[in-house]
Amino acid sequence: MTPDVFIFWFLSLVTLAAALGVILLSNPIYSALSLAMSMVGVAALFVTLGAYFVAGVQLIVYAGAVMVLFVMVLMLFDLKHELKAFTRGAFTGALKLISVGVFAGLVVGAVALTMRSQAPTSPPPATTDATRELGQLLFTQYLFGFEALGVLLLVIAVGAVALARSKGGTHARN
Amino acid sequence: MGQDILEVVINAVKLIVIFLIMVQAVPILVWLERRGSAFIQNRLGPNRVGPLGLVQLLADAVKFLFKENFVPKKGVALLYYAAPVSALIPATLAFCALPLGTPMQFEAFEAFGSTWGPYTIAMQGFEVNVGIVYILGVSSLAAYTILMAGWGSGNKYAMLGALRGCSQIISYELALGLSIVGMVLFYGTFNLTDMVNQQTGHLAFTAFGYTIESTLLPNWGIFYQPLAAILFFSATFAESNRIPFDLPEGEAELVAGFHTEYGGFKMLMFFIGEYGHMLVASGLMATFFFGGYQIPYVSPEELYQFFLGVMGTAGAASVVTALVHVAVFFAKVAVFLWIFIQVRWTLPRFRYDQLMELGWKTMLPWALFNTMLTAVVILIARGW
Repeated sequence: MTPDVFIFWFLSLVTLAAALGVILLSNPIYSALSLAMSMVGVAALFVTLGAYFVAGVQLIVYAGAVMVLFVMVLMLFDLKHELKAFTRGAFTGALKLISVGVFAGLVVGAVALTMRSQAPTSPPPATTDATRELGQLLFTQYLFGFEALGVLLLVIAVGAVALARSKGGTHARN
Repeated sequence: MGQDILEVVINAVKLIVIFLIMVQAVPILVWLERRGSAFIQNRLGPNRVGPLGLVQLLADAVKFLFKENFVPKKGVALLYYAAPVSALIPATLAFCALPLGTPMQFEAFEAFGSTWGPYTIAMQGFEVNVGIVYILGVSSLAAYTILMAGWGSGNKYAMLGALRGCSQIISYELALGLSIVGMVLFYGTFNLTDMVNQQTGHLAFTAFGYTIESTLLPNWGIFYQPLAAILFFSATFAESNRIPFDLPEGEAELVAGFHTEYGGFKMLMFFIGEYGHMLVASGLMATFFFGGYQIPYVSPEELYQFFLGVMGTAGAASVVTALVHVAVFFAKVAVFLWIFIQVRWTLPRFRYDQLMELGWKTMLPWALFNTMLTAVVILIARGW
């Protein structure tokens, strides 16, 4: 086993164990903390693939900002009522069945795809400055999608402020 | 990792040494902080244990180690114990990526029946090509430490302090990241060593094919991006939870914030984490805006040639050059650390809404303005 293979298996195991923790732990705060752990694992996997910039952004945006906000909001909530509502009932049962189906499909698909691909594809040519190329691609080939995402995020931000101001609370307009 | 076993061992030892530098700087900093605050407040400070009171922190550490170990009754033991340990991780990982000096170069030599080398040993824990993105990424994980401490303590005040601390860190990360974008645009790289290498010599503005060279000022980043320097340094105060942004502790309203329930050595580990963040922030200030490990006006190549003339051998000259650069780097870091301490004992604490307004309504727009201005000026002046 070469060091690369060992690192890959170790990181995969950590990521998967943390991901399992997300769905198996009953306390939402621990679920969110496990999700953060699994995101750090994914960032480390990006590093082993040589995608340093993507790994850094994964850490800053997902693990460092989005999940921290999730955990903070979860800590402020008292989730006993929601826990009860989502444990029993026909609707929850249907959701569970659908999730099991989707998960089974994913597993079958992953196994089938792994069996089918025989020859490992050659790695893409090593670029001197992957970050520069990423930036150039974003602003030439994928410009429309990039700008559309920016507009979408702006709309979301405006919508969140509008909701916060209309539904009462500290920032309401009386 | 390295080309052979010797280089692997050297790299591993280097990581340990850099970690120890960070941890060992803490007692000195605490001593400096206590003596410095005493000096500012017209007192004497700790001066009984050892010369000038230098051994005081060693005595304190021993005291901390022998304190009773406990978990609050309503706390969560796992998170309560994990928080202080993980407080060390972000600062250590970030500190390892800072370039501390020019690399040492060793020529190939014969030993134990085989040829070893040649080696080039960078004065840096590990070189990351996207240095600044990596450092921002690992530092942003510090928020979890505070959250785990707050939740694991099972205490209202700890919880409130943790929530405050996290929202503060997230808010100021935006201003911190954006203030750096101007520097990244200007240098055209994320690599910290490349940034340092571009700050050699005298200040020289180049625009429209003309070059104006100053004979007095060194070629430091702060002369190109003064606004970015101010924003970055202020935001790092918030990131490391120092006064005037130490709202997570706010002893007047929250007892001691997220570490209310911590005592003994666990408390000390939060301390080490905080001072580690200060070290990283000071190191980044030096690297971005004050020429990194370089001596002003003297390029590393000139210094190397000078020592080559004195020493004779290339290996010895590169070792001495590297050590001199490391010393210069830590001298610059020490200046910023002293500013951190001086500010702590000079300014009062912000109110929480003032803090958020400063972050979102003042620093973020100015950082955005700086980014836009830099981009436009670079576009016009360099004619891309």
